[in-house]
Amino acid sequence: MANPAASHSHEHHIVATSTYVKTLLALVALMALTVWASFIQIPAIGPISGTVANQVVALAIALVKAFLVVTIFMGVKFGTKLIKLWASLGFIWVLLIFTILGDYTTRHFEPAPSWDGKADSALPRVAPDEPKIPAQNDLNVKIRE
Amino acid sequence: MAAIPNPMEHGHDHGHGHEPGLQHQYEDMAQQSETYIVGMWSFLVSEVMFFGALFLIYTLYRWNYQVDFYIAHEHLDVKLGAINTTVLLFSSFTMVMAVQSAQLKERIRVMGYLAATVLCACTFLVIKYFEYKSKFADHLYPGVSFADDAVKAFGPHALENGHVAVNMNHAQLFYGLYFGMTGLHAVHIIVGIGILLSLIRLWYNRAKTVIHDYVPTEMVGLYWHFVDLVWIFLFPLFYLMPIPR
Amino acid sequence: MSSTGKVTGELQHQPQTEEVNYLNNGHTIASWLLTGDHKRIAMLYLISTTFFFFLGSLAAGLVRFELTSPAGVVLESETYNKVFSSHGILMIFTFLVVAIPAIFGNFLIPLMIGARDLAFPRLNLASWYMFMTGGILILIGFIAGGVDTGWTFYTPYSSMYSNTQVSLVLVGVFIGGFSSITTGVNFVATIHKMRAPGMTWFRLPLFVWAMYATSLLLILGTPVVAITLLLVVFERLFKLPIFSPELGGDPVLFQHLFWFYSHPAVYIMILPAFGVISELIANFSRKRIFGYHFVAFSSIAIAGLGFLVWGHHMFVSSQSMYESVVFSLISFLVAVPSAIKIFNWTTTMYKGNVRLQSPMLFAIFFLLIFTVGGLTGLYLGCIGTDVHLTATYFVVAHFHYVMVGGTMLGFLGALHYWWPKMTGRLYSENIARATAYIVFVGFNLTFFPQFILGWMGMPRRYHYYYFAPEFQAYHIMSSLGASVLGLGFILPAFYLTMSLINGKKAGPNPWQAHGLEWETSSPPPTANFLETPIVMDEVYDFDPVSEHQQNMADLEKREASDNDGNMPIEDHD
Repeated sequence: MANPAASHSHEHHIVATSTYVKTLLALVALMALTVWASFIQIPAIGPISGTVANQVVALAIALVKAFLVVTIFMGVKFGTKLIKLWASLGFIWVLLIFTILGDYTTRHFEPAPSWDGKADSALPRVAPDEPKIPAQNDLNVKIRE
Repeated sequence: MAAIPNPMEHGHDHGHGHEPGLQHQYEDMAQQSETYIVGMWSFLVSEVMFFGALFLIYTLYRWNYQVDFYIAHEHLDVKLGAINTTVLLFSSFTMVMAVQSAQLKERIRVMGYLAATVLCACTFLVIKYFEYKSKFADHLYPGVSFADDAVKAFGPHALENGHVAVNMNHAQLFYGLYFGMTGLHAVHIIVGIGILLSLIRLWYNRAKTVIHDYVPTEMVGLYWHFVDLVWIFLFPLFYLMPIPR
Repeated sequence: MSSTGKVTGELQHQPQTEEVNYLNNGHTIASWLLTGDHKRIAMLYLISTTFFFFLGSLAAGLVRFELTSPAGVVLESETYNKVFSSHGILMIFTFLVVAIPAIFGNFLIPLMIGARDLAFPRLNLASWYMFMTGGILILIGFIAGGVDTGWTFYTPYSSMYSNTQVSLVLVGVFIGGFSSITTGVNFVATIHKMRAPGMTWFRLPLFVWAMYATSLLLILGTPVVAITLLLVVFERLFKLPIFSPELGGDPVLFQHLFWFYSHPAVYIMILPAFGVISELIANFSRKRIFGYHFVAFSSIAIAGLGFLVWGHHMFVSSQSMYESVVFSLISFLVAVPSAIKIFNWTTTMYKGNVRLQSPMLFAIFFLLIFTVGGLTGLYLGCIGTDVHLTATYFVVAHFHYVMVGGTMLGFLGALHYWWPKMTGRLYSENIARATAYIVFVGFNLTFFPQFILGWMGMPRRYHYYYFAPEFQAYHIMSSLGASVLGLGFILPAFYLTMSLINGKKAGPNPWQAHGLEWETSSPPPTANFLETPIVMDEVYDFDPVSEHQQNMADLEKREASDNDGNMPIEDHD
C-alpha cells in the first residue's frame, strides 16, 4: 500500500493516539469537575450573586470542554486558516442571537425619565383633553367623525 | 498557449491517471478533501445557529423564571445525565480514533471504532429512553393538562397551604424546553447512527469513496463531534442548575 | 475580451449545429431528474420557480381585484387572509429567496470561476428535491385550506388559535429552508476552493462576490427561522409551549427570532440582484465597474450589517424603546453600502459606451426603482415616522419597490442577459425592450399610489376600506397598474419560449461581454470548458481605446446593414 503520507498533502497530518486519549481524559475530568462544582454553593462575590457565579463556572467549564473538542477532536488546531475562520465565525455569530436578550433587559426601563427629575417621564403618558383634529389637506382626505 | 488540458478531453476515462475516488469537478485529491471539509464546516455553522436559537429561548426563560425552573429541574436525574455525557465523550473519542484509522487505511480498526461509536450512541439513547419514561410516568411533559397532572410530582413544593408554590406554567415551559432541546438532540443522534451505519457498510464493502480517501469518514466525525458539543452545553444548563439565591 | 491565457477566436470556429452541450447530452427524464450537472439543475429550478411565481401572481391578481371596491368584491375576510398569505409565502419562500441564487448562481458560478461544476453536485440535486418537496407541501397546504396568518406567522395566532393548515405549510417552508442552506454550503465551498488558476478574489466578477455574501446569509440565517417555525409547529401539534402568553411565554420572542432571519432574508433576495446589476451595467457600459473593491466589500458589509437590524420590523411590538433606537441607527447605517453600490453603478455608466439593449433597460429601471424603494425604507427605519406608517400600505409599497422593482427586475435582466448562454437562442430584442418599458410603467402605476395610500392611512391586509372610500381611486389605479405589470411578466414567457422554437442560434458571446462564461459555447458543454482557463486579469478589463474603436465600427455596421432589432450576433475579438 502506498505510503499514506505521500498521497495526502501536508495538512492531513495524523494526530497521535496519545493526544486523543489525553484529551478524552481531560474532558471526562472536566465533566466530573462541573458536576462537583454544581453541588458547591459559591458565595456571592460583591454584586454578583452566588447563582450567577455557579452558572459562570459551569459555562466556563463547558466552554473549555467545547474548545478541546473543537480544536483537537474536530482538528481545527491542525486545520487551514479558512477552517479556523469558519469555526470561530460560527460560534461568534451565534452570540449575535443573544442580543435579543437586550430587548428584555431594557424593556422595563421605559418610560424615559424626564430631564429635570420632576415629572415621571419625558413623554406625557396621560391622554390629551381634546383630540387634535388635523386640518383638511390637499389630498382631500375627509376627517372621520 | 497556457492552458491545462481538461481531463474530460481524454473522454470519460475517470480511472486513467487519476486518484481513485476523485470526483470529476476536482483537479486533485487535495482540492477535493479541502473542499469537503469547508463544506462540512459550513453545514455545521448552520447547525450551530439552529441550536443557538433554542439556547437563546432557554436562556431567556430561565433568567426570568429562575426559581420555577430550578424546582422543575429537580426531577432530572443528574446521575443519568452524567453517565450520558461520559458515554458521548467516549463516543467522540472512538469516532476520532476511527478517523485516524481511516487516515492510516486500517479498515478493520475503522469498522471497530465506528461500531463502538454506534454502541455508545445507542447506550445514550437507551438511557435517554429511561429518562423520558420516568418523566412521562410523572406526567412531566407539556400538554394542556400539565397543570393538573404534574402537580403531584412536585412533592413538598406543591400545594402548600392550598396553593401551588411553583408556577405550573413556568414548569411547563421548562419541560417544553427540555423535551424540545434534548429531543432535537436525540433526533440528531438517531440520524447520526444512521449515517454511521451507512459508513460502516461502505467500509465493509470496500467502497471506493471511503477506502482511498479518509475525508468522508472525517466529515461524519465532524458531525458527530458537533452532536457531542451540543450535549456538552445541554448537560450543565439543564441538569446542573445552581440554586437561585 | 477578458485576458485569459487561451488563444481567442478558437471557439468561433466550432460548428454551431449539433455540438454536444449540456442540453442535448442525454435526453431521458432520468438524465434530467438525476443529473449532477449544475446547469441542468439551474434549468430545473427555472421551471419550478417560474411555476411558483405564476401561482403567487394569481394570488396577487386576486388581491388587487378584491381591493378595487371599498367593501371588497368577491372575498370574505378569512379567504382574503388566506389569499394574501399564500401570495407572500409563495413569492418569498418559493420564488424570491430561491430564484436568482438557485438559477443563475447554480448556472453561472462554476462558469464564472472557471470550474467544471459546483463543489457538491449531488447535494445540489438534493437541494432541488428539497425545494420541490417543500414547495409541494406548501401547495398541498393551500389546497387543503390555506393559512390565514400572513407569511409572518405571528404567534400566538399561528401557534394556538388559527384553525388553518399552519403545520403543513410550515413543514413545507422548513424543508424548503434546507434547500437554501445546502445551496449556500455548495456556493461557499465552490467559491473558496474551485477558482481557476489566476482567478484571485479581486478578479472575480461581482456577481460571484454577491453570491458569496448571499451564501453567508443563507447559512447563518436560515437555520434560525427553521427552528422558530418548527417550534410553532410543535406548539400546535404537541402543545409544546414556547410562545404562549398564558404560560408566561413571550409572543414577541417569536417576532425576534422570525425577523432575525427574515431581515437577512430580504438581503438574500436583493444581493444576488445587486450582483446581476453589476454585471449588466459593466458590460453594457463597456467600462470597468467604478470602485470594484467598494462594491465587493459592500456586499459583505450588507450581509454582516443585515444581521443587526431585525428589530426595525418590531418598533410597535412592545419591543424595548432603547433597542428600537439602536436598531433604527443601524438601519440607517445599512443603507450606506447599498447607496455606495447605486453610486458606483451610476458612475460606471458615466462616460461609458452605454448600449440600451433589453438587459440594460432592466438594469437602469432597477436603479430608478430600487433607489425609491431604498429611500422609503429610511422613512420606515426612523421610529417616529414608522409609528404612523407601519402596517399601512406604505410598507407594502416599500417592500414591493425593493423586491419587485429590485429583485424581480434583476431576475428579468439576468434572464434576458444570460438566456442566449443558457439556451443557445436569441430572442426578439424589440419585444424584450417593449416588455421592459411595460414592466416599468406597470410597476410604478401599481405601487406608487400605494405610498400615498399608506401615508393616508390605508391599513395592510385589509380587504375592505369602506371607512375611507376616497382611497378607491388610488386602489383602482394600483389594480390597473397590476394588470399592466402582469402583462409585462407574461410576455417573456411567450417570446422566450418562442425563441427556443425559432430563435436564431447564439454564438458564444452575443453581447461582446467580458467574463469566463462568455468564453465557452452557448449552450456550454457539460464540462463547461474544453480547457481549464487561466486568468490573467480582472474580468472587467475593458480598454477604453479599443472600446471606442469598436463602437465606431459597430455604428458603421449598424448603419450599413438593415437592423431588424435583433441583437448583434457577430463576435469581435
